[in-house]
Amino acid sequence: MARLELSNLHAEVAEGDEKILEGVDLEVESGEIHALMGPNGSGKSTTAKVIAGHPAYEVTEGEVLLHLEDEEFGEDIEIDEDQRTWNLLDLEPNERAALGIFLGFQYPAEIEGVTMTNFLRTALNAKIEEREELFEDEDGDEAEEEEDEGFESSPMEGPADEGEVGVAEFQGILQEKMEQLEMDEKFAQRYLNAGFSGGEKKQNEVLQAAILEPSIAVLDEIDSGLDIDRLQDVSNGINALRDEQGTGILQITHYQRILDYVEPDHVHVMLDGQIAKSGGPELAEKLEDKGYDWVREDVYGTA
Amino acid sequence: MSAGTQVHANLTEEQVREISGDLDEPEWLLETRLEALEALDSLDMPDVIKTPGREWTNLYELDFESLVDPLNAAENKDQVGPDEANVLSWADAVQEHEELLKEHFGSIVDPQENYLTALSTALFSTGTVIYVPEGVDAEDVAIRTEQNSRSLFNYTLVVTEESSSVTILERQSTGEEAEEQYYSGVVEVAAGENSYVQYGSLQNLSEEAYNFTVKRGVTDTYATIDWIEGNLGTQLTKTEVSTELRGDSSETQIVGAFYGHNDQHFDLDAKVWHRAEHTTADLITRGVIDDISRSVYEGVQDVGADAWDTSSYQRENTLMLSDESEADASPQLIINNHDTEASHSATVGQIDAEDLFYMTSRGVDPRSARNMLVEGFFVPVLEEIDVDELRDDLEELIGARLRQRD
Repeated sequence: MARLELSNLHAEVAEGDEKILEGVDLEVESGEIHALMGPNGSGKSTTAKVIAGHPAYEVTEGEVLLHLEDEEFGEDIEIDEDQRTWNLLDLEPNERAALGIFLGFQYPAEIEGVTMTNFLRTALNAKIEEREELFEDEDGDEAEEEEDEGFESSPMEGPADEGEVGVAEFQGILQEKMEQLEMDEKFAQRYLNAGFSGGEKKQNEVLQAAILEPSIAVLDEIDSGLDIDRLQDVSNGINALRDEQGTGILQITHYQRILDYVEPDHVHVMLDGQIAKSGGPELAEKLEDKGYDWVREDVYGTA
Repeated sequence: MSAGTQVHANLTEEQVREISGDLDEPEWLLETRLEALEALDSLDMPDVIKTPGREWTNLYELDFESLVDPLNAAENKDQVGPDEANVLSWADAVQEHEELLKEHFGSIVDPQENYLTALSTALFSTGTVIYVPEGVDAEDVAIRTEQNSRSLFNYTLVVTEESSSVTILERQSTGEEAEEQYYSGVVEVAAGENSYVQYGSLQNLSEEAYNFTVKRGVTDTYATIDWIEGNLGTQLTKTEVSTELRGDSSETQIVGAFYGHNDQHFDLDAKVWHRAEHTTADLITRGVIDDISRSVYEGVQDVGADAWDTSSYQRENTLMLSDESEADASPQLIINNHDTEASHSATVGQIDAEDLFYMTSRGVDPRSARNMLVEGFFVPVLEEIDVDELRDDLEELIGARLRQRD
């Protein structure tokens, strides 16, 4: 089990002093699905980026904590008592990823010349390695001992380089996950998001989450611009993350539509850099009917 | 500004006669060399890019007097190729193919085009002649030059007869390093009717060395010349890779890759002259600069008045890895025939912070992410290289240089 805790989070744009987050309080636990809704400019995407460590934002107050229980990362990694709570704001983006944070991008980067397979295997291995470093036992490195076996890659598949997960093993994992998401296997050899359609990019974000098996996934408008078929594929992928891997989901969305497929346990409404209102799934439906002005009125007594 | 260097002060006719005599050259070649020597006085350095208030590459600053040591050239050379093609050292070519040399030597790159071509013509003591007879397909011609002396002047001639093809890989490196060295190379390619030439070169000289190279080809009807040029070595490189599309329906591609670091300086020209109908040119160069290195790229697509139905494309991208590196790029399009489809573009940029964040947020450490982005940046260029060995070597050198970074 893992729990992400945002408390009194204030943030502004690093260059300039435009305040964007003005005291966000939010908790997301493994296995839960939270929907974070709100009008444009209310701070939803900034919240996501600050959690992941985007360098363009500066946190001026508050905390982002990640609480882990023992065996969050399986039996091989022992999490001592004093390593159960991490202040994410002290960590680099890749260290946060190693601790199980995943950000699904609203606009995923297009990266020419780096294949999906190469990137994802590198990411997976880097994550495993970084995790071992973060939890390294001071008395010695336990993880090291079991490493030597592993898969040998065939000479046909490029250099048998470093990394816990070898090329052949990774191909197996990737193929399985792509089938689950009904993705064409040719994606594996394409360059990362390069020339992908909007829908393909979003599907690819969910695929990457499935492979990296995060404890907490923040998905920033993963549903925008999807046709109904792809919306269903993406929704199935998100549900599988929660059901099979116990991932806690923070789903940022503009639209009620995806919530029909990915049913939230909790719904939060963000206004002016704060969580203005929280509730169950019925809150989303009410928003659909009444709009955000109703929340504003309800909370501040003015529209 | 005129050729103000004093190099000719310590160069003599006797030296040129000795070089030519050692190679057992005929009188006409000696004359060509002596004329080039004599012309030095009146010749300028090759053109370089100028931006307001700045001349990017100052060739006049080079101390040729101390760099050039004409009678002590030393190298380690391999010249190999399949039996069907003639791959000869310059000395052998002088004996066996005098008529061929007489026809082509100096016909594509004018020995007196500028100060440095004239210097090279007067003083070259080594070279390779590749002659591919009609209908012959010659793969895997390899020329390796390892410079062991203060200066080395090299000459290469490629002649392909009708419907032949040849793939050439040339490499320059430094054996015995000295504080300052000078490498000069002139390459002429005469591609016969319907023939194909791929000329790949990988310059990885010592970072103390200076390098001046001109590679130029001329195409006959339906001929193709594809150039690939990788530049990694030297403290200063001035090169030109160019093709004159003289035959109808002929084609050329100029692919370039460079990676400068420390205080390296690259001044690279890619040029194509469309001088016939239905010709096609594709110029693509990508380079990385780091530390305090500098790059200047000039690309010219010149479409002549008679060049009907021309297709001509040019792209250049420079990626800066440090704030102190500097790059300038000038893509030029000169069109004198409007039946032309053409494009040209150049960009200079840094690693995209959003790309980097995307990758690190997935768990990749910043250093690996940056290296993947840089290696990925070169991929569109690497994909154009047919010769596996050249592509692999280039990839490896790029990877090694990246890993050298902290």
